[in-house]
Amino acid sequence: MSRFRSRYGDQPLHLIAVVITFAIAGYALTRIVASPEPISFALYFAGAIVAHDLVAFPLYSALHRLAGHAGSRVRLGRATINYVRVPAILSAFGFVVWFPLILRLDTQRYLADTGNEPPSYLGRWLALTAALFLVSGIAYTIRLRRGRPRGPAKGPPGPRSPRSGAAGPVEPEGPRASEPDAR
Amino acid sequence: MKVRPPRLPLRPPSFGDPPPGPFRKEFWRSPLRGPWLTSFLGSALLPLIVICAVTGFLSHLAYFPDLGMNRVGTPGSIHIFLFPFSWPTSPSWLYAFTQGLHVIAGVAAIPILLAKLWSAMPKLFEWPPVRSIAHSIDRLSLALLVGGSLFVFFTGILNIQLFYPWKFSFVPAHYYGAFIFLAALGLHLVTKVPVALRAFRERGVIAPLREDLAHTKPEPHREDSTAPLSPAAPTLSRRGLLATVGAGSIGLAVIALGQSVGGPLRRLAILAPRGETSSGPNGFQINKTAAAVGIDPKQTESSWRLVLHGSRRVELSRDELLAMPLSTQSLPIACVEGWSTTQSWTGVPLRDLARLAGSEGAQARVESLQEGGSFRQATLASTQVSDPSSLLALRVNGTDLSLDHGFPARVIAPAVPGVHCTKWVASITFESA
Repeated sequence: MSRFRSRYGDQPLHLIAVVITFAIAGYALTRIVASPEPISFALYFAGAIVAHDLVAFPLYSALHRLAGHAGSRVRLGRATINYVRVPAILSAFGFVVWFPLILRLDTQRYLADTGNEPPSYLGRWLALTAALFLVSGIAYTIRLRRGRPRGPAKGPPGPRSPRSGAAGPVEPEGPRASEPDAR
Repeated sequence: MKVRPPRLPLRPPSFGDPPPGPFRKEFWRSPLRGPWLTSFLGSALLPLIVICAVTGFLSHLAYFPDLGMNRVGTPGSIHIFLFPFSWPTSPSWLYAFTQGLHVIAGVAAIPILLAKLWSAMPKLFEWPPVRSIAHSIDRLSLALLVGGSLFVFFTGILNIQLFYPWKFSFVPAHYYGAFIFLAALGLHLVTKVPVALRAFRERGVIAPLREDLAHTKPEPHREDSTAPLSPAAPTLSRRGLLATVGAGSIGLAVIALGQSVGGPLRRLAILAPRGETSSGPNGFQINKTAAAVGIDPKQTESSWRLVLHGSRRVELSRDELLAMPLSTQSLPIACVEGWSTTQSWTGVPLRDLARLAGSEGAQARVESLQEGGSFRQATLASTQVSDPSSLLALRVNGTDLSLDHGFPARVIAPAVPGVHCTKWVASITFESA
């Protein structure tokens, strides 16, 4: 047993699962190879991995880092970024799922299939994004009115006093948070 | 643990120090990443995947792939292993329900899938890249898992938006892609359920959700874990992250739900393709217009005849059909794309037409005036033909069908996938099952 483990790297159950997995995947593969466009299938399958792991992930990480740097320049609490980050992420989820309609990638087909001109999904998505940022801005303002945002209050020790310190310099940022994506 | 000297041919190749960048552990700074977070996201994702898989295979069953040319590039009898029953005709909203669920769950899974991929991303850059035979097989299967999940979910969401940038045929690609995805998921569960159970045992299943930002600490770093070696200070609690992902998931689900449930809820489908309703009795959603499939309106004028093939051949004009005993049924069009719309249809019961052709109890191959396309014809099972609410509809909501809804006559039948409710019917061939 332990000899098997040292040579294979896992327990025998793993090998059994591997055989079943690759048998099923192999069956599907033979059917795909027999289908009319196996190359297109392979391209999209591999392309999905590349698009996510090597394009989308580095891209959104870089964007996030940039936002973090920008946020750290303005002297705000460390959790303040969430009032921008959370609505931005939610808006991005909407885009990731509905981008073919938002970007009007095939309006001809839409018209032919549904019999209607597509409505402005881009406008709707932007309105949704604006609404998310507006809600976030309102939430931020409420936080400021009640006291400091919770993040910085319990964050790394700072010289500022719990109430009066944050309210002064931070407050004007509240409404501004709702603006950038309202366009 | 006993260490045995490794045998030569199976000795893992030795890799030196990791190259700079993501292969180094210091690169990954997020204090939220770790086995608990990934396990929690995985546990949220799994039920949605199970719903998608079950409803997906049920949809295959609902197409009766063994009959006629219904299989659309997918295998025939494989569903017998999965479901030892035949797709029923009751309740009439069954397919609208299962397929709506399929699309809603699939759309709702996207934020969780993306979050889970984010949480496990350091694994892609593991160093050394290969540790053992089992480890390298695992990594290969992860390519199938990640590629399979993205492929299946994104072909699905592009299909529901009528966007087909690829050359392959959607139905078999989505179907076989799911096989690859689910097979790899099985292996993933075998290797990762113990990891998840350990994370839940050590940190509690929901205990970390009680930690606010001030109490959010990184999971302890271990060799072989995604918990960071040099974590940055947290700016978001785990529950904050999960609430964001959950809100995204629910928001997307609501949009998809709107076009699936219809009625006043349809207005919620602001980003979905079937959120619009035109006015008038024929104003409900159209799957494909007559123009899109090349129907010449002249073919549908008074010269049109319905041809029945059975024990005898019968030809009927639209007036002759309207003179037969008509039935009115409230039935949904339920599209494989996850939207549906329930309307009141009036027409001749299919079983009356079967009787007229001398072929009671037969299955029916329904052909359209439409010249091409996978769904210019469909074979209905004998149970679907003999259900009293299955109609060759001539009218809808008290008025004649519009051309885009299948004038002069279309099939509408309970719990039958939309594309099997053939429009612009030219002939019905009754065949003994």
